[in-house]
Amino acid sequence: MSALSRNAQCVLQILQATGTLTTSEILEMARRTEYAEICKDCAGGDTFVAAANQLVEQGLVTKKLGKGGYHWQIVRR
Amino acid sequence: MALKPRQVLEAMNEYYEQYPACAGRSIHKLGQEASAAYSRAREKIARFINASEPAECIWTRNATEALNMVASGLKISKGSKILTTSLEHHSSSLPFVERARRSGMRIEVLRAHNDGTFDIEDWKKAIDRTTRVVSVAHSSNVTGTVTPLRDIVEIAHDRGALVVSDDAQYAPHHPLDVQSLDIDFSAISVHKMCGPTGMGILYGKMELLESLNMFLVGGDTVSDVRFEKGRILPQYLPPPAKFEAGLQNYAGAIGAGAAAEYLQSIGMIEVEKRERELLTIMLKGLKELEHVNVLGPEDVRVRSGLVTFYVDTVTSAHDIASFLSDEYGVMIRSGFHCAGPFHYQLGIPPARGTARASIYIYNNEAEVSRLLEGLHALIVTSSQEETH
Repeated sequence: MSALSRNAQCVLQILQATGTLTTSEILEMARRTEYAEICKDCAGGDTFVAAANQLVEQGLVTKKLGKGGYHWQIVRR
Repeated sequence: MALKPRQVLEAMNEYYEQYPACAGRSIHKLGQEASAAYSRAREKIARFINASEPAECIWTRNATEALNMVASGLKISKGSKILTTSLEHHSSSLPFVERARRSGMRIEVLRAHNDGTFDIEDWKKAIDRTTRVVSVAHSSNVTGTVTPLRDIVEIAHDRGALVVSDDAQYAPHHPLDVQSLDIDFSAISVHKMCGPTGMGILYGKMELLESLNMFLVGGDTVSDVRFEKGRILPQYLPPPAKFEAGLQNYAGAIGAGAAAEYLQSIGMIEVEKRERELLTIMLKGLKELEHVNVLGPEDVRVRSGLVTFYVDTVTSAHDIASFLSDEYGVMIRSGFHCAGPFHYQLGIPPARGTARASIYIYNNEAEVSRLLEGLHALIVTSSQEETH
């Protein structure tokens, strides 16, 4: 597996520290000060969502469509 | 990002396969062919926007670079006012915000109405005798609204200000006549008009280009560089050469010319007409969908070929784009579209953003229906209590 991008690490760290989150919740968390060191990309959030989708492809995260939109969860091994 | 017609791809391939040489500097046969094709491409662009001469069209990497060239190179005195709007793409506001900060100028931001329109009276109040530059998008990349540029130019010129028009969104969708509009500078991004990525055009009136400072200098920008008494003394060429430093993207320029020629072969009036037909269907369909909020006015005559919206039941516009791509094969953009100020004005936070569906001449009614069908499915699922 290739090294994770900074944005992917940001998403992983947020999901590890929480539980199931919607896309907007991940993006809101990414702007919090506690994630400021690792989550540094554009406020619009495109790159974080793209990174989250890559994590799904790598089998590290799941996403399911439900109320409010997609719900993201880390895959616990 | 527009799709590329075969004519554009073939023109670029022809360059790489048949005369892959440097234009303007190599005297061999391939160089001459490249120079001729490169020169023809500039002529095609000049015809496309009705510039008075090809030399008024400068090749850039994109509209952003073109706007930075103007913001950075204009000779404006300290204390002058630069006017821009809350509706701008970051590329037409930030270069001027930075120039104002660096050079001690005042920057004023004219607030657009929430539907992306302006009152001409607001422009009359905002452009005063201290205004030196007005930087404005001819068509918004968020609401798609077309700005009353002719009126703005008239007001600005009456008060001694120059108008820099961001035509990235306008030029691909409407007939653009820079002479008729009397625009001072115009920035175009070729990737939105069926051309290659990484190519843009800066149009400027010749007398303004002649006095504009260069953003980049170096090879190909000079007629001579003398060395006298320990000093290097450059003599710069007239536009466009003085702005086009170093080796250029010849294939990109040739592709840009082919894209302009392609669009003109269809006719920009026809392009505009076809987009309005599709836009009417899309706006009507979106209006009929519960929970969908469309930005911008309903009148398609004051819009370009895009519709931006958000859905109450979906907390992030990125989910709209992901779902339509994954499940329906419909590609749309989501986020802030490089227009943060306008989203903040509307009270749309970054985590929500907006979704933007763009249409162009190659789209059809079935594709618009597919978008609407996908949105309907998403709204149904995102409204339900349980996750699936």
